[in-house]
Amino acid sequence: MGEAWIRGKSAPLDDAIAEAANIVAGSRQPVIAGLGTDVAGARAAIRLARLVGGVVDHMHSDALLRDLDVMREAGMMVTMPTEAHVRADFLLLVGPGLIEAWPALPERLFAKRRIVWLCPDAAAISASTYKNVAVVGDNPAELPAIVALVRARCAGRPVANAPIALATIDAFVAELKRVRFGVAVWSAARHDGLTIEMLCGLVNDLNAATRFSGLPLASADNAAAVQQVAGWMTGYPLRTGFGRGVPEHDPWRFEASRLVDSGEADCAVWISAYGARPPAWKRDLPLVALTGDPNTIRSHVTITVGRPGLDHDAVEHLATTGTLATVSARQPEAAASVASVLDKIITKLSAAHPC
Amino acid sequence: MLTRLAGGHVIDPANRRDTIGDIFIRDGRIVDAPAGGTVDESYDISHKIVMAGAIDIHSHIAGSNETMGRLVLPEHRSHRSLLDGSHPGHFPRPAGTWNTFETGCTYAAMGFTTVVEPAVLPHQALQAHLELADIPIIDKATLTVLGNDDFLLNLLRRRESSSAIRDYAAWTLSTSRGLGIKVINAGGAAAFKDNLRVFSLDDEVPQYGVSSRAIVKALQHAVHELRLTHPLHVHCNNLGLAGNVETALATIEAAESLPLHLAHLQFYGYGKEGPRGFSSAGARLAEAVNTAKSVTIDVGQVMFGQTVTISCDVLRQFNARNSAHPKKWVICDGDSNGAGIVPYHYKATDFFNVVQWAVGLELFLLINDPWRIFFTTDHPNGAPFTAYPDILALLMDRDLRAEWMSRLPKDALEVTTLSSIAREYSLVDIATMTRAAPAKLLGLKDRGHLGVGALADIAVYSPGNDKATMFREAALVFKNGQLVVRDGTVCHAPFGRTLRADPDCENGIKVRMRDYYEERYALSPEFMMVADAVIGRPDPFEIVPCLN
Ligand SMILES: [Zn+2]
Repeated sequence: MGEAWIRGKSAPLDDAIAEAANIVAGSRQPVIAGLGTDVAGARAAIRLARLVGGVVDHMHSDALLRDLDVMREAGMMVTMPTEAHVRADFLLLVGPGLIEAWPALPERLFAKRRIVWLCPDAAAISASTYKNVAVVGDNPAELPAIVALVRARCAGRPVANAPIALATIDAFVAELKRVRFGVAVWSAARHDGLTIEMLCGLVNDLNAATRFSGLPLASADNAAAVQQVAGWMTGYPLRTGFGRGVPEHDPWRFEASRLVDSGEADCAVWISAYGARPPAWKRDLPLVALTGDPNTIRSHVTITVGRPGLDHDAVEHLATTGTLATVSARQPEAAASVASVLDKIITKLSAAHPC
Repeated sequence: MLTRLAGGHVIDPANRRDTIGDIFIRDGRIVDAPAGGTVDESYDISHKIVMAGAIDIHSHIAGSNETMGRLVLPEHRSHRSLLDGSHPGHFPRPAGTWNTFETGCTYAAMGFTTVVEPAVLPHQALQAHLELADIPIIDKATLTVLGNDDFLLNLLRRRESSSAIRDYAAWTLSTSRGLGIKVINAGGAAAFKDNLRVFSLDDEVPQYGVSSRAIVKALQHAVHELRLTHPLHVHCNNLGLAGNVETALATIEAAESLPLHLAHLQFYGYGKEGPRGFSSAGARLAEAVNTAKSVTIDVGQVMFGQTVTISCDVLRQFNARNSAHPKKWVICDGDSNGAGIVPYHYKATDFFNVVQWAVGLELFLLINDPWRIFFTTDHPNGAPFTAYPDILALLMDRDLRAEWMSRLPKDALEVTTLSSIAREYSLVDIATMTRAAPAKLLGLKDRGHLGVGALADIAVYSPGNDKATMFREAALVFKNGQLVVRDGTVCHAPFGRTLRADPDCENGIKVRMRDYYEERYALSPEFMMVADAVIGRPDPFEIVPCLN
């Protein structure tokens, strides 16, 4: 571990760090993207962005912003997975992608409560692993209509053109109103913003009569934690830039792929410590990659980093607790962490440009 | 290195000093005047005022709820570089949405050097400490929230011994690295889980059969028996409701003779008189505080403008969500207390908001012991902490208050006593309330004063007719003897530490908590732990010894 390459040739780590610092120092508009890293790595990435006037974006910002947009444009009732584990008597699973987003979901939340799954993905349900799960709707494409329908019937409004039998919906609504503590679970990776907003509106409405909350599942690659770090260090979510000296947030302007493909960015630092996700942009540009798997990316400087929580201790967002927590390394390795590499780049750059 | 601050007006109520004189600093501490020896560095501060660095005992500056507030209010931008010297008064008055860097720099520019984040839920303590670690210059501390958690409520339901409660409080405090313990709407959040929407001091939590009063009393005793420096910090029931002065008065009475701190009392100073059924009960409440010598309070002053309310009083925040401005909110109906983020705009034209503003000032002006009343806005709930200089100016100047009142609706002021109050705070009162008294209340022996041995946390102000400007832009601020602010501008931003208590924690409770978490959550309580190694700063915590 701790291997590094400069233009495809194996190089000592310190040389690779020096070359990475050179590339970033020569850039007008660097983007620091991917951000699949632990909390220490995210803190270092934002320190680097602040130092060089860079932009920070996460590879799962689209999903992060979809949930966040409902919060910052409407309202959201949420609960914690631990509270759901202990007290929920009813679980409303909404749409596809849930097991994929949180593999431990069945183990943590499927026992001891009534479960209804709206429009599950075929793969999740065809195995019929989950015997106590009732299914309403079988086509994920119909989910937005079904959620709207449920909300309308819940509010006692008439509806037309229901994709499934109204009696089924009404029975379901009656059940929702009878639960003691219902929890709606979804993964923003698989919904549009309007569906999430409709669902959260339904959850809010249900609180007039009973206890009901949402449990949005976090995106992969520690995205939820990185968003928190961006929140406290910049005051904004991801897609924030330091180009004018102070942090500015703009979900369109500071999207990494757009910046690269439009040519506005002239250098990128790509961070993917949880495995091998390559960037989505199409254009070639001077690239520094901090990655768990160097074979997956062609870059000017490639530095192999350890997997957080496996190769080194890490603070991560845990789906099980819904909080940041320390995860001790299961197989401690002498691997470099994202934070240690970025801190060395920052030190080199600070020495070159004393402030 | 020996540094001398020469010829300033030293205001140091803890040492009964109010004279022109010198202050000497060596190795981060205040030292005696040297007998001979050379001064390496000297600052001429004649005609300036010197106080210890200010201490804020209650300001929501870190943790997942604060960050949620930041994330949901992106429109509250601050286009200001804190190191470039532009004027903090030119913030477009956002609230509570600043990042950690701005938070530390803005506090320091006003001469604050220690700030307490007062609401950390035990499960979420790690994030709070990580955020505090990214706030520069100032030192920090946290209060750990108990009182709506299943474990404690069960201890009370089963009438377990006070030592069991004490052990549990000690364990939670040590896992979460808190300095003290806070209770927020005791039992109210637990009752909310059963769909209760109102909850008072003598109401019982469904399922547990435990009253709010019993929870407060049990925790008050636990804090006392653990010999924690800071008394139990109470956020009462019924925040914000007309007639809630009765709740506050009953809670004050419930203190009996043991120390008890009531947070943001302004939000409980409301009667039901007057044409709108909403009136100030500030005078009554102040009288009760004056009489109850074991009680301390902080005000939670309201100022007009946009802010965001951030609170672990989930019941109150849920009820308030429909008055959100702008219209958006996040309620977390989660473990133990939960939380709610609700943006709010206090308007100088709004009857209720003006009464709230007046109640806060009445408490400041009618509570006569500056050692028992603390200066807060419950940042950002009543106002952002950047409003502090304006509030200090109002306290020091009755003409300024009259000028404000002349522009506010008469009908609102008529249900208050504010216009009849002539008192003006002196600089000694201000130094007591913002320095000496907070250090005493938190048990920080080497802070809040300028005596020999004190930490060299020092604020130097340039007096002038405009008191707000004086307090907004300190002339010089030293943190641990290092110059960090000059002429209201941060010139150096080192990172401070976080103060915590270290009560004895028996092995028995560790085993019991491990079993409880396994049984209830099928988890190890390991996820709650805050380890020094992950904080990302060398030596991140400083232990404040318990009382002996
Ligand atoms: Zn508060």
